[in-house]
Amino acid sequence: MTDEEINWPETLRAQDSGQQAAAVDALRGVLLNGLRIALNNRPEVSEAQLEDFAQDALLRVLDRLDQFQGRSRFTTWAQAIALNTAFAELRRKRWRDVSLDALLTAGDQMAEPAILPDDVLGGDEDRTRLVNALRRAIAEELTPKQRAAILGELQEMPFNQITALLGTSRNAGYKLLHDARRALKNRLLEAGITGTDIQSAFTL
Amino acid sequence: MKPQNPSLTAPQVKGLVQMIGLTRDREFNCSECLEHVSEYAEHQMTGQELDAAIACIEQHLKLCPECREEYEALLKILRAGA
Repeated sequence: MTDEEINWPETLRAQDSGQQAAAVDALRGVLLNGLRIALNNRPEVSEAQLEDFAQDALLRVLDRLDQFQGRSRFTTWAQAIALNTAFAELRRKRWRDVSLDALLTAGDQMAEPAILPDDVLGGDEDRTRLVNALRRAIAEELTPKQRAAILGELQEMPFNQITALLGTSRNAGYKLLHDARRALKNRLLEAGITGTDIQSAFTL
Repeated sequence: MKPQNPSLTAPQVKGLVQMIGLTRDREFNCSECLEHVSEYAEHQMTGQELDAAIACIEQHLKLCPECREEYEALLKILRAGA
């Protein structure tokens, strides 16, 4: 039977415990196979870790069966959850030693000239104006948590880790960042820095 | 890089400016992205037209490196036929 022919949600909820157990096993195998493919360029990830990721993902998928709306194949939907599970764990391990105090302190330093030198984008007058306006906006428009979150993002700190440190949910953390970006954008626009000015700063 | 002693590099400032430039009033958050990414990935694989309701997933993927990393991994699985 092909993936398209299996009604996964129905089979995974089957009253027949044997049928349900077989479906759960099959889904675990699908998730494990997908994770092997997705992470085959990461030699540091062991087979045992892949199996742990697959098991954790399986539990999340089973817990969210009611949220599957059939807009994609079931296995694609489940694989997306498995990848989210696996990558979150891999990122968490890399950054687990960073403290909230360190992140907040570093965030507060973002508005200082040493962190954002005038000529960081090059000595061009327009770029210097942009960086100056950005520094003022960061200092005056953002809260300490917003500064910390933005700095964490720029330093490729996992978003889950940032939100864990800040004590917010992932969605609340995204809103925190979104509000910060909007505040910075509005402040730049008020300073007469247009979208075109912003675009031109990209060509470093 | 650890955040204890930050000194933003030119690419990081560029990244910040880019994030600001891409900011919209209404955006998908990460949960909304995860909710729709399987559908989006299958559309990308088949070249089908995208439902306007999930078109803003593209903007989220530009802004969120983690969701983008997971999306690219999902494409890798789909391309392998798994």
